[in-house]
Amino acid sequence: MAYRGGGGDGHPASATLSRVSPGSLYTCRTRTHNICMVSDFFYPNMGGVESHIYQLSQCLIERGHKVIIVTHAYGNRKGIRYLTNGLKVYYLPLKVMYNQSTATTLFHSLPLLRYIFVRERVTIIHSHSSFSAMAHDALFHAKTMGLQTVFTDHSLFGFADVSSVLTNKLLTVSLCDTNHIICVSYTSKENTVLRAALNPEIVSVIPNAVDPTDFTPDPFRRHDSITIVVVSRLVYRKGTDLLSGIIPELCQKYPDLNFIIGGEGPKRIILEEVRERYQLHDRVRLLGALEHKDVRDVLVQGHIFLNTSLTEAFCMAIVEAASCGLQVVSTKVGGIPEVLPENLIILCEPSVKSLCEGLEKAIFQLKSGTLPAPENIHNIVKTFYTWRNVAERTEKVYDRVSMEAVLPMDKRLDRLISHCGPVTGYIFALLAVFNFLFLIFLRWMTPDSVIDVAVDATGPRGAWTHKYSHSKRRGRNSEISKTR
Amino acid sequence: MVLKAFFPTCCASADSGLLVGRWVPEQSCAVVLAVAHFPFIPIQVKQLLAQVRQDSQVGVAVLGTWCHRRQEPEESLGHFLEGLGAVFPHEPWLRLCRERGGTFWRCEATHRQAPCPPGEDQVMLIFYDQRQVLLSQLHPPAVPPYRHVGADPTSPGGLAAVFHTVARCEALFRSDRFDEGPVRLSHWQSEGVEASILAELAKRASGPICLLLAGLLSLVSAVGACRVFKLWPLSFLGSKLSTCEQLRHRLEHLRLIFSTKKAENPAQLMRKANTVASVLLDVALGLLLLSWLHGRSRIVHLADTLIPVADHVAEELQHLLQWLMGAPAGLKMNRALDQVLGRFFLYHIHLWISYIHLMSPFVEHILWHVGLSACLGLTVALSLLSDIIALLTFHIYCFYVYGARLYRLKIHGLSSLWRLFRGKKWNALRRRVDSCSYDLDQLFIGTLLFTILLFLLPTTALYYLVFTLLRLLVVAVQGLIHLLVDLINSLPLYSLGLRLCRPYRLAAGVKFRVLEHEAGRPLRLLMQINPLPYCRVVHTYRLPSCGCHPQHSWGSLCRRLFSGELIYPWRQRSDKQD
Amino acid sequence: MEDERSFSDICGGRLALQRRYYSPSCREFCLSCPRLSLRSLTAVTCTVWLAAYGLFSLCENSMILSAAIFITLLGLLGYLHFVKIDQETLLIIDSLGIQMTSSYASGKESTTFIEMGKVKDIVINEAIYMQKVIYYLCILLKDPVEPHGISQVVPVFQSAKPRLDCLIEVYRSCQEILAQQKATSTNP
Repeated sequence: MAYRGGGGDGHPASATLSRVSPGSLYTCRTRTHNICMVSDFFYPNMGGVESHIYQLSQCLIERGHKVIIVTHAYGNRKGIRYLTNGLKVYYLPLKVMYNQSTATTLFHSLPLLRYIFVRERVTIIHSHSSFSAMAHDALFHAKTMGLQTVFTDHSLFGFADVSSVLTNKLLTVSLCDTNHIICVSYTSKENTVLRAALNPEIVSVIPNAVDPTDFTPDPFRRHDSITIVVVSRLVYRKGTDLLSGIIPELCQKYPDLNFIIGGEGPKRIILEEVRERYQLHDRVRLLGALEHKDVRDVLVQGHIFLNTSLTEAFCMAIVEAASCGLQVVSTKVGGIPEVLPENLIILCEPSVKSLCEGLEKAIFQLKSGTLPAPENIHNIVKTFYTWRNVAERTEKVYDRVSMEAVLPMDKRLDRLISHCGPVTGYIFALLAVFNFLFLIFLRWMTPDSVIDVAVDATGPRGAWTHKYSHSKRRGRNSEISKTR
Repeated sequence: MVLKAFFPTCCASADSGLLVGRWVPEQSCAVVLAVAHFPFIPIQVKQLLAQVRQDSQVGVAVLGTWCHRRQEPEESLGHFLEGLGAVFPHEPWLRLCRERGGTFWRCEATHRQAPCPPGEDQVMLIFYDQRQVLLSQLHPPAVPPYRHVGADPTSPGGLAAVFHTVARCEALFRSDRFDEGPVRLSHWQSEGVEASILAELAKRASGPICLLLAGLLSLVSAVGACRVFKLWPLSFLGSKLSTCEQLRHRLEHLRLIFSTKKAENPAQLMRKANTVASVLLDVALGLLLLSWLHGRSRIVHLADTLIPVADHVAEELQHLLQWLMGAPAGLKMNRALDQVLGRFFLYHIHLWISYIHLMSPFVEHILWHVGLSACLGLTVALSLLSDIIALLTFHIYCFYVYGARLYRLKIHGLSSLWRLFRGKKWNALRRRVDSCSYDLDQLFIGTLLFTILLFLLPTTALYYLVFTLLRLLVVAVQGLIHLLVDLINSLPLYSLGLRLCRPYRLAAGVKFRVLEHEAGRPLRLLMQINPLPYCRVVHTYRLPSCGCHPQHSWGSLCRRLFSGELIYPWRQRSDKQD
Repeated sequence: MEDERSFSDICGGRLALQRRYYSPSCREFCLSCPRLSLRSLTAVTCTVWLAAYGLFSLCENSMILSAAIFITLLGLLGYLHFVKIDQETLLIIDSLGIQMTSSYASGKESTTFIEMGKVKDIVINEAIYMQKVIYYLCILLKDPVEPHGISQVVPVFQSAKPRLDCLIEVYRSCQEILAQQKATSTNP
């Protein structure tokens, strides 16, 4: 029932499962795909990648595709869960190594991932984030299994330090035979093309989006005094050190200025120390970790949104803030200048001095009343980025990818050797061969015909929308985990 | 809903008559308890039932008729049985019928008020062994114990209701085979009590004996509780010596055994029995040990070997220290510190050896007296052994403490100086590491101290490591002994024996077997008792031991060892309560 | 009524599902695995003894050989008595309960009976098992404190691990009985 051809796995669908009348719903305008999103980062972890995957999946389900998500287990949350609209999430019990990224040996995840790809009849693997080891593993295995692959890069990287050099090399290997790559901004595309030595033709730019209905302005929640809001994880990359320089300077200059800082992270201690040293307990509020649904309530309390990121591919936070009608002050790094038009954002250099100037300018505008009304900003921003648009564009990528052929093993090895340099190329070619042998071994151990086809939850013949007459099935956990 | 009729297997061959039992309306099940035979006078049956109802507080009634056709079918009997429904009104009225020679029964349930079409009510016959159900005890108990006290025995739901009914109606079964009552009943019958004179005597005598012994025990415990033992050194010793701990534990056991209070519920009774079994086993093993020890002058032999062993251990320790004072395993240590530490420990060993030699003439007597303690039980002897080991390895303990203290001092110093190194400090009020700016002198001194401590650390760490290993060895031996003692103390021997010989007494639940079936006849099931698995018997009836729970998990133990905190094998007294 | 159908387990092995319909309110499902094959038994025994003989030729201690014999015997006994489950039975009786029996190769039987009052539902769930994602049938038990909660999940056919088609077969039958039960308990 879930099998629609096009994949490399040529085995018949199990006949016992065709309870839903076939062909009745096969009238979509384009062909539908079975997509598997793979990333280490997913809910309950919080961040841009996570919400991107979730929203994109939801919109793709709406458009009639079958989508599943594969990620690693978060604490007690392991196994299989269902989210809204029957979005199935596999939390695989893999060991987390560092920063929520799994440890990789390039082989140990193959049995489980292969099992999932086969039982869900996946045709396109869509990996997210270059920090995620699992995403790269999945790409590698998918290519071995002959499935189409798409990769979305969410972050920017340098070229100078040792770690970047290493990561870039790995990215080159990982992406050299990936069918298509998606970047979130033009800066990010440039960066990725350079880092992974890619052909720019196969790199598309599809920006992130925000749900504008979630981020509506509410001017009555604001206080009389000027409030600056910062919402980000408190880590080095997000420029928390800059923030700790800005707070005392501005607080001394403007006695009626308040800060609200949402987010958690290892650099929180710096902000606490600044607050204690300058006796700013009543003016700087540290909210700690925020749930995604609470972000809007925090944003609407402020007038100005400050973003101090040191590197950013596409900053969702400033779009969310602008959608709530806040004046945005941000560093001019990465893809940020592309995100908003110039009249909605004040761009500064990533230094304390420049940021202070930018904030002062914003405060002056606010006091003089030359800022546009929050409602107007919201109406402008609303039209910029929507998930439906993102999903449509991603769908086009899928359509294109599904037409392409996956490189056969010999060509893949050739490409690895020619593309990734002599030493790395040969090593990874060897690993690819091993992976292929391992796959053959696994196919011998449990042939594809033995693997049960999963009951479709989403997609055109999804079980979620069709109530079976007497075969209602529900995951024990599906009621619990319907949280976003 | 399917009507379920629970029918005792012992009544299967009874003559025709009336079904006496209880109707549970919420589950639509009928629990047949007995069959009353013809001839009877209805008023007498009613009287009997009223009496049983009063005794058991269970709604026992006549449920229907039972017809066993041994001889040729008689039409008149059938009519007569139908007529009985008018005498004993019950809703629904059951009609059980066993054909002659056939294994399949017929069973019908008729409603008087609302005559519904036949076949609407399906009937399921469930056979059960009345004796096993009566004697068995469900786990976990369906009715919480505190509800037993109340006068209203709210019956538990489900199958527990069946067990409950059978157990409460014991009054119905009291009459045995030889009794001649006004009503002839057929049910499970005990074989009659063989009134043995010995058993009767024991029963009579047990009361005063228990009283006497309980008095004695309270005297002993009063002596134990008197103020002399509350003084500092004695109370301290008492809390540290495992022998005292064990004695106290046993005293409590004895007090429980000889208490004149009746056990309130089966769990308490079982606990008492288990305690008796455990004490008896313990004493028996102890006497065996005693006879082995005191036969053929083994004590003298033991004493002769003990002193040389202690000497030998001390000598080995000396060698070890000398090895450490040189270049152990090719490590280069700080020479001065090494010498100081080594000499210090050597002097200790010297002291120890002289102490042992001072003791040597008395060892035999001490051992002889210690051997006598085995008659109090094997556990007491084992605890004494553990204490003796602790005393004989006191020097190792001392070394370990010195080593650990030194090591801990250094580790703490190093960690705080490392923070100073990075420009941080520990904020004790907020329990976190703050950044802090130090001036030049502080940094200079701090760095200097840090270097010194860092270079001296390997020497101390080596001493610490060696003595910790020794200490761990001793602790492991003591731990093993304590485990053995705990095993004897807490093993529920009586329950295990019961499970072995009478598996139905401890029931984990029931299981059903589908009996041979013929279309059109009611389904017949056989209900059997599912005995409790052995592991759950042990788990449920384990006697509370005096708490040898490991204080730390392995991870935390390693962490404590690394940071140089002291580890003790001594039992925590606070754990004893649970 | 009794019929037997052949299915496969998640590793491709053969399973036989026997269904016995005693009455509309009582059904039994019996999944039996193939018995211990002589071939695998011989293979394991030979390997152990060959290894023992190899050791024996190295250290020339005849204790090893006798130990090997003991180990194989004990291992076989333990395997038959504690590990190898030949047959798993699910007996569902309307308004009484569900009984699960697993019979070991040695004849030992372990039985669990769950009263109908405690059963909330029977569902098919998915789980990650070893390096596989499998479907399994499980019984959800009611939480005595909270009426809508689930206190425990009891998996059925734990050792046989049949595939989805077999599970659906059993599931439908069980649901029919549960539906009867629900219908009668709501309007008696």
